[in-house]
Amino acid sequence: MGFIELNVLNNSVNNVALGIDLGTTNSLGAMWKDGRPIVLHPEGDSGYVPSALHFTEQGTVLVGREAREMAMIDPAHTLFSIKRFMGRGLADVEADARNVPCPLSETVNGVVQFEMRGKKYTPQELSSLILMKVHDQACKALGGLEVTKVVITVPAYFDDMQRQATRDAARIAGLDVLRIVNEPTAASLAYGLDQRKQGKVAVYDLGGGTFDVSILSIEDGVFQVLSTNGDTHLGGDDFDRTLVDVAKKELAAVVRPSTLEDRAFLQLLRLAAERCKIDLSTDPEAFLHVSLPESGVQWRRKFTRHEFDALTAHLIERTLHSCRRALADAKLSPEQIDEVVLVGGSTRIPAVRARVEKLFGRKPHCELNPDEVVALGAAVQAHVLMGGTRDVLLMDVTPLSLGIETMGGAVAKIIQRNSTIPCQATEGFTTYVDGQGGIDFHVVQGERELARDCRSLGRFKLTGIPALPAGMPRIAVRFHIDANGLLTVTAKEESTGKSARIEIKPMNGLTDSEVETMLNSAYKNAREDFDARRAADLRTEIGTMARATERGLSQAASDLDRETRRDVEEALAAAKAAALDQALDSTALQKRRDELERATLPLAALLMDHVAKAALSGKRLDEV
Amino acid sequence: MSSACPSCGAELETPLGCARCGGVFTPEPAPSPFEALGLAVAFEVDPKELRRRLLRASRVVHPDYHGSSTPEVRARAERASALLNEAHELLADPARRADWIVRSLGGPTESEQREMPRAFLMEVLEWNEALEAARDAQPGSPARAALATLEADLRSQKLAVLTALARLFTPLPERGSKSLSEARAQLNALRYLETTLTQIEALRLEASSPS
Repeated sequence: MGFIELNVLNNSVNNVALGIDLGTTNSLGAMWKDGRPIVLHPEGDSGYVPSALHFTEQGTVLVGREAREMAMIDPAHTLFSIKRFMGRGLADVEADARNVPCPLSETVNGVVQFEMRGKKYTPQELSSLILMKVHDQACKALGGLEVTKVVITVPAYFDDMQRQATRDAARIAGLDVLRIVNEPTAASLAYGLDQRKQGKVAVYDLGGGTFDVSILSIEDGVFQVLSTNGDTHLGGDDFDRTLVDVAKKELAAVVRPSTLEDRAFLQLLRLAAERCKIDLSTDPEAFLHVSLPESGVQWRRKFTRHEFDALTAHLIERTLHSCRRALADAKLSPEQIDEVVLVGGSTRIPAVRARVEKLFGRKPHCELNPDEVVALGAAVQAHVLMGGTRDVLLMDVTPLSLGIETMGGAVAKIIQRNSTIPCQATEGFTTYVDGQGGIDFHVVQGERELARDCRSLGRFKLTGIPALPAGMPRIAVRFHIDANGLLTVTAKEESTGKSARIEIKPMNGLTDSEVETMLNSAYKNAREDFDARRAADLRTEIGTMARATERGLSQAASDLDRETRRDVEEALAAAKAAALDQALDSTALQKRRDELERATLPLAALLMDHVAKAALSGKRLDEV
Repeated sequence: MSSACPSCGAELETPLGCARCGGVFTPEPAPSPFEALGLAVAFEVDPKELRRRLLRASRVVHPDYHGSSTPEVRARAERASALLNEAHELLADPARRADWIVRSLGGPTESEQREMPRAFLMEVLEWNEALEAARDAQPGSPARAALATLEADLRSQKLAVLTALARLFTPLPERGSKSLSEARAQLNALRYLETTLTQIEALRLEASSPS
């Protein structure tokens, strides 16, 4: 026994970290255990947390499966695919905004906000709720071990803003982010370990909302990413949308125009289209059903796999084009790829598999569950980061070039795409005017020639430059992309020899104090969620006790004195009313429950039936 | 070339970290690319040896192996690893390697000296014409097909330029020597060749892109 206890001690909270796949459709937690990564899930459950949120009338937020179920009942207050909004401004999300059943706005720093039941939420806050749910479930699966260190995965093609947003979401959830890892790279870790692979590997990752392709060289435990490409707005959601569009066109003859504009109806249609798409992966034909009894809509339409393939051919072609670009950047031809690995639920689509196979001229691997492999890889990376092994060395790249806007609005590239990270570049700046104390510059990310076509990472301001004639100050600005793919900018004044304090302020995204405030309110929300859960449990318990009391009264009412009987009946009526009153919180409900229990004690004592006694006190027989 | 570890005294393969005690260092001023990878300055570099050194040094300084260290050590690992990757990237590219050598020996920069070798200039005109014709033509046309010939031509020229550079750099020229200026002219030619090859690649990708 002693050894086992020692192991338990070694597994103390400080030595373990979770790997979390924060997906567009589903999220999942995993951990390294006994020499391999495992998915963490409650008994008898897959562990997937649907990345869905539902906003209740009481002002609480349901997350995961409960939220997804509510989508059918109350689609107007249910959100999906939050990941598509991470690190984005309103102008970037026009197409996606049409699928959101609530108004959107923007903070002063250009962060999208969802308005639900009179409250505004940033994608960071909403993602933090999903992360908390995954984390909570994982900790439960570990028997209540409170793990706070995590590795979180992001699409490889996520830019700096999207990565920052993901990290902020984790901070709001109160988690300590050890590393942001690219999804295809994480997948290759899980695959590489599992299959002991060597050679050149292409990872094709088509998820719910994003597409990535990464070309890696795997050799003696070194996983070196040679190139990556992708599209952070291309995934299973887009495949669903092709079916939705057909359905909308044909439904126009059947329903009122206002129905087709109804956000709730569209949400239902989207879910039905997703179901149909999934069926088409196994069946040659499938039906898209929509039924809205209240408006009398009962509609179904048969889709053949052939028709679906034709509708989605252009989407698959876009992914293949990304593959060709990644191959060109890696200076490899398709024939030089030794293995192709499929990741992400959307790679279950037969046409995707067929066309990937055709491009690379070999059968892709899909032995590992495409929905789990990213979380498993994140767990491997968490294990490495906790000092668990040095057998694996992961060398990833930055997906997009980094540049500075020049005078004419063009981009001067300072870090090329597909540079191995961490990486850095130093750029010299000087002043144009005598005594100039500050310099502004604009950092962008992307491959386009003009700054306005690239993603703006922020306008930076150098201040505190010593008063010198124009052109004299020599300010070295260092751009560092860390192992998370995140940019930091530091500056040093070199001409005067003394290190003047140059300050740099980024001006996009969430500020530290905003994250701080959200952190507090997230904890508050978590408490409210906990309260809502407790209240729901109490309502159920009161119901059970009330039924048992009624049964008891019918059997033994005549044996009770009038006063006791009145007490029981009053407490019963009060508790039943409380269970129905949605305004009561868990404290009030607890009080009613306890009063009912007290009032029914004489009745319970009277009844010799053990089963009745157990039910009345709300306990199981074996606990009595 | 090698120095001793400031904390355990072992001989260092890179000034950025010690394989024996696991120390990570960020010396100031920062080591040159050659120093970072523990190599003597030379134009000819064995790519396999370069990669071997990068991986060996990475196994010491990479931030992944310092995930549970103090924030200070983590920051140093980030910086050391970035220096290492920057050095490797530069040395793995013959053009950037040669450019670094020319500048470190006080030779002309590319803005100080813009000319290319004379014989080379004559061909540039022809190549430019072929490229323009291909750009204006439809994918699949004869002008596009001619790109393959052009590409082969450019690749063999590139090889010739690299050979010329290797000759100029063996042995390494004296500081301020005239051959540095010749090397710069070859480098200008090399830059032209690489830009043109990239454009051909882009045209090929564009031909296969979904419209």
